[in-house]
Amino acid sequence: MLSKQKIDWAIYAAFVILIMLAPLAMDTFWLNRVAKYLVYGMLGTAVALSWGYAGILNLGQGLFFGAGAYMLAMSLKLASTTSLQQGSDKPVPDFMLWNAEPGAPTELCCITKASFLWLPFQSQWFGVAMGLILPVLLATVLGTIVFRKRIAGVFVSIITLALVLLVRLVVIDSQPVTNGFNGLTDLGWFNVFGLEFDPYVTATYYLVAVSLSLVLVGVRLLVETRAGIVLQAVRDDQNRARYLGFDVPAYQTFFFAVSAAIAGVAGMLYVIVSEFASPTFMDLSFSITMVVWAAVGGRSSVLGACIGAILINVISATVSETEGFAEAWKAIIGLIFVLVVLYLPRGLAGLAHDFVDRFVARKSSPSGQTIGVTGASSQAAE
Amino acid sequence: MLEVLFIGLSLGSILLLVALGLAITYGAMGVINMAHGEMVMVGAYVTVLSGIYLGANVFIAIPLAFIVTALLGLLIERVVVRRLYGRLLDTLLATWGIAILIQQAVRLEFGLSFFGIHIAGLGPGLQNVSVPEILQGTLSIGAAEINRYRAFIIIVTAILAVLTWLIIYRTSIGMQVRAIIRNPKMAAACGIDVTRVNALTFAFGSGLAGVAGVMMSGFKTVFPDMGTSMVVDGFLVVVMGGVGSLLGSVLSAGILGEINGLVAAATNDILARAVVFGVVIAIIVLKPKGLFALKGR
Repeated sequence: MLSKQKIDWAIYAAFVILIMLAPLAMDTFWLNRVAKYLVYGMLGTAVALSWGYAGILNLGQGLFFGAGAYMLAMSLKLASTTSLQQGSDKPVPDFMLWNAEPGAPTELCCITKASFLWLPFQSQWFGVAMGLILPVLLATVLGTIVFRKRIAGVFVSIITLALVLLVRLVVIDSQPVTNGFNGLTDLGWFNVFGLEFDPYVTATYYLVAVSLSLVLVGVRLLVETRAGIVLQAVRDDQNRARYLGFDVPAYQTFFFAVSAAIAGVAGMLYVIVSEFASPTFMDLSFSITMVVWAAVGGRSSVLGACIGAILINVISATVSETEGFAEAWKAIIGLIFVLVVLYLPRGLAGLAHDFVDRFVARKSSPSGQTIGVTGASSQAAE
Repeated sequence: MLEVLFIGLSLGSILLLVALGLAITYGAMGVINMAHGEMVMVGAYVTVLSGIYLGANVFIAIPLAFIVTALLGLLIERVVVRRLYGRLLDTLLATWGIAILIQQAVRLEFGLSFFGIHIAGLGPGLQNVSVPEILQGTLSIGAAEINRYRAFIIIVTAILAVLTWLIIYRTSIGMQVRAIIRNPKMAAACGIDVTRVNALTFAFGSGLAGVAGVMMSGFKTVFPDMGTSMVVDGFLVVVMGGVGSLLGSVLSAGILGEINGLVAAATNDILARAVVFGVVIAIIVLKPKGLFALKGR
């Protein structure tokens, strides 16, 4: 048992070292790309935490990602000199000028009806704080309502799915404040005490890589705490946990919020790396794609889900460079996904766990470390 | 006002058209079929292709599309869904993979586009279907001008809903389906061939989606991604109505359609959809079992 845990941590360490060394072998273009994929990896981890450990299949993870992304993007938009110098004497984001009523004062406070909401975002750290607070707040409110009402399984999925689509529509509809369909582009660089995070430099890559490592280790430690173990008990049998006296909704809401926070951080990092925020972050297909990554990597493995996301994206980026293969690759992804659900419900991590199990080879020791995914999904299906 | 209500009814009938098939596959079989929207898409493409190659109109395309999508549904059930009964969320994920596959199959013209062979009517582009003359233009009822094609959709939806109701509640196979909804194991113990009935149910639900696709093709552009948003709407209708309740789906489609129509008339289409999502969320939170839940299971 102990040695298995050691192997586990060794794999984590190997992964962290790998992503730390990656810049040595890449040009800046790929560095930027891989930084994006590491962000996706973080999303995979967020999904695994809520799906694999809490048994909550959130089909609206994009909501938290989008919330984080938009909050920081608003600040970075106000930090962009090119965007603010478009034909006005007062610094106002360009799209607000295009959307303003004729004769409206070119002040951030009142150029359009709700533009005053942007005022505090003139401070970048307010944007960062909100990028964390907003997803957590949304998740806490949503979780409190949903889990207190003992809504479970597919109904949670449908609620989260409807919610992300609802927010997406509201964002699109509020053109004067959010620039609607086009999203926020032409952003400034993230700036930490004078150090500017140009998306194409190594520093930005390390910002993402270090954040991802911290999240991975943090989540891994978190699920091994007492609360994490209670959570898994809740996942496996909610009623039993309730009768044992645990406050089930509190545990569910807490981990739901943690997962949302991770998605929010991922959203912020994505904005730094890719320099835009758009309503496509809240598309249905993006949220389901995250679940696909987690499922392929291993829905109940923190690192597995992360690696699944990175792997799928690296492969698809490589493959898509061959002309005409991009669309076919999508079909292959679809096929892989069907096969994984049918034959490999524990994903790549499941394979790895089996391998480690055999490697450790103790015939009498129960495999407490491998998580009963079939148990979890049948529980969720009820 | 009458016109607004009619638009609402028409939107509701479109919702119901998609939701009917889902109500059956989800309600009866406990399968969340994310590929349902792609069945609608395939139905729409059947209309396009039969128009190009057979010179057929919408009326002929309806039975054709039903057969094609029902067979496709049968195939999917055999190969994938059958292995996943009882794993609700896994069916959602696996059928999402299937949905991507079907979309790409149409977009890549079944892979032929790699070899430079192109089939007119398929591929990534947009397709349009012309509607027979009798369904074009408007019809005046009282003071209201009513779009003929929308009226046609309402009629077809009504016929399909009644037909489905008859099959489920007035035939012996329907009784078997209802028995399976209540308790699959008990049904099997009573001698019902659950596997066979499930396969037929899935095929029937898919066939209904195909017919929905034919109807969609008459007033929407046909393209490979067209089904994705529909399947979500369909699910919201089914869940709001109550899983396994046909009447619930009919009513909730009507309610959501009217809400959509009224809000759209007062504000805009985007907000109207947002309000519809809001209503559905509120109802699921307040009544997780849906408005007209079946007891049992």
